[in-house]
Amino acid sequence: MTRPVATHNPITSAGKEDDMKRSEVARRGRRIGLTSAGILVAATGAALAHGADGGVAVAVEGAPSWSLSPVYHILVAHFPVGLWMTAYLFILIRSFSDSKFAVRVQNAIWPVAALGTLAGFVTYGLGLTIYPWSAITESPLGRNHIMLATWTLSYWTVMSVLGYRFRRHLFVGAQRWITFTLATIGAIVITITGTLGGSLTGTPSLVTKSLSWIGWNVYMTFYLPTWMLAVYVAGALLLIAIGIIGWKRRV
Amino acid sequence: MAIFSGLLVLGWVTHGTGIVKDDPERNIVIPDELMSELQVKAAYDGEKIWFRYRWPVDRPSLFNDVLVYQDGEWETRGGEALGPNPDFLTEDRVAMMIDDGSVPLFGRYGGYITIGDGLTTFTGVPETEEERTKYLPSTRTDPNDFEALKPESDLEMLRAAGQFIDLWQWRSSRSNPIGLGDDGFVAEERGGDAGTGPYTTNWDSATEQPLYMFDPDVAGSAALSIDAVTGGDVGFNDIYYLSADTALPFDPTLAWKNGDTIPRRYLRPATGSRGDVVEPSVARWRNGFWDVTLERAMDTGNPLDDKIFRDGASYDLAFAVFRNASTMRWHYVTLPVSLGLEQPAQMVAERIEPGTEPDWTQPWTEIKTFYPGQVTWGRLTDARQHPGADRIAQRVPVAVRHTEEQLALYGVQMEFAEEIRRQWIWTLIASLSLIVGLGINVNLLMRRREDAI
Repeated sequence: MTRPVATHNPITSAGKEDDMKRSEVARRGRRIGLTSAGILVAATGAALAHGADGGVAVAVEGAPSWSLSPVYHILVAHFPVGLWMTAYLFILIRSFSDSKFAVRVQNAIWPVAALGTLAGFVTYGLGLTIYPWSAITESPLGRNHIMLATWTLSYWTVMSVLGYRFRRHLFVGAQRWITFTLATIGAIVITITGTLGGSLTGTPSLVTKSLSWIGWNVYMTFYLPTWMLAVYVAGALLLIAIGIIGWKRRV
Repeated sequence: MAIFSGLLVLGWVTHGTGIVKDDPERNIVIPDELMSELQVKAAYDGEKIWFRYRWPVDRPSLFNDVLVYQDGEWETRGGEALGPNPDFLTEDRVAMMIDDGSVPLFGRYGGYITIGDGLTTFTGVPETEEERTKYLPSTRTDPNDFEALKPESDLEMLRAAGQFIDLWQWRSSRSNPIGLGDDGFVAEERGGDAGTGPYTTNWDSATEQPLYMFDPDVAGSAALSIDAVTGGDVGFNDIYYLSADTALPFDPTLAWKNGDTIPRRYLRPATGSRGDVVEPSVARWRNGFWDVTLERAMDTGNPLDDKIFRDGASYDLAFAVFRNASTMRWHYVTLPVSLGLEQPAQMVAERIEPGTEPDWTQPWTEIKTFYPGQVTWGRLTDARQHPGADRIAQRVPVAVRHTEEQLALYGVQMEFAEEIRRQWIWTLIASLSLIVGLGINVNLLMRRREDAI
């Protein structure tokens, strides 16, 4: 394939490069989308085919007419966890090193994080199919797992967008420490979400216990007092306002 | 970052506040302690079986309900209360449920199976003339409907099949002073076995006066003072109960004065099957613990009232402890515990020589007790309300999935189920808005290298 030769007009040349980049991104997006859809279809097929014939069938009052076995959620959950934690590891390396290896690793951060987010959405969806919403939201541990999973997914969506938009610039100057802090918070919420999932399946870990040492017994629903809800919403608006003001000043 | 991190820390510090609090209007009183402990030992000699219980109580309650003279009338005080009785006019108690494997699921879920919907003191249940007690699900055509009692013939059939729980009780005020326990059951209701119990009501409704008073020659006076009773100044060395040995028929002509106090219960020997459970000696509270021993014939000859103990057999037990002057559902319960007579079990009864008394040298079985909150069997078995309903249908024992601490916390949260769920959803929305705010903020403020130049 012959690459277009640069013209004398630098503006036209830059425009063509942008077009090429966009089409390359689109191609990659299509590939990722198709692969993900394929995996999803295969996983759904396997889930539907999963044996309902094992053991003695028991009637349960109020049981949903259809639900997925938790094993698929548990299985798929390892993908976003693994991918996000890999992205965190790369961020960690890049934050503390300017070596060639660190710079090379930096290029993989956003694709890995984005793939994790994609897998995260699939995992989240699978998780919601296990129990009726009315039941899982009666369980303090269930509520906490949903809460943390929502935080994790939304947070890493933000991180993925950030990674895609800023790439190497995430590690320019003081921004590397902002990136490092953001990613560390992200790694913490992943860890808590995962350990809550483990607790839900009856295997609490040391993380479960250690959370209670620092003030949160995970068997108590995490909720904020009403005044704190208002503070959070006000905080969100303040963050947006600061962002807009800062952006306008720069522009 | 500072704003975001600060809000996270603030959220962490303030979470879980603002909802769980006492609400007497809805019969909600949360005990200060959700967990406690019970120590148990058992021994048998082939004829009799003994159980010894020991549990912590800061201040023993020697009284239950009392009659207090006030301006010419006798008023009832104490007895039932929402949560702890501030005057310590609610007795301490230990109860033990026993099954021999005949009651489905009891060995896996213990007392939870007896908590149907609409029991007395549960939030939203209207007060009824008769107490709506615990019952076994199999005694109802609809297990979750207290009113849906099966016909008498079905209940008799269930009883003959062993579908009842033997219930032993010991009461610090209404049985202990005369060395008795109380033998009952849980089947279509929680009730006493055939015969008479260890107490009767000291009240003449025709004259609206007590039936008995203290014998001044024995007790030193015809009544106690309410201040001494509620202040804890009456002890084991005082005469604090009415019985044939300590009481006389009430004399209305005495110069009664305000604050004179007489127990509202008159203690008497229990009779029939109800009198099967006795104490070898009157229990005492010492050094912060009640130490109680109950004994019964292994085979009482009343197989429709009692679970018969047999050498080489296994049983399922579940305990409840009432402390800090609390009654009704403000008790501390245990998960089911297996008992073996010459059989491996969580608690193994010691075999002793026939005709001897236990020397109690074997170690205690330590059992965690917890406040159960308001959790009904109907809720637990409904997949729309309990994610573990399918596990119950598969007969997975509760202890496999939950610890006592967990169950205590869940029980309390169940008392505020709707409020907590609502607040949790709002927290989800507010925290999501914060993350979105952070995302917008960082995306707007981050700079590319060329921007910075």
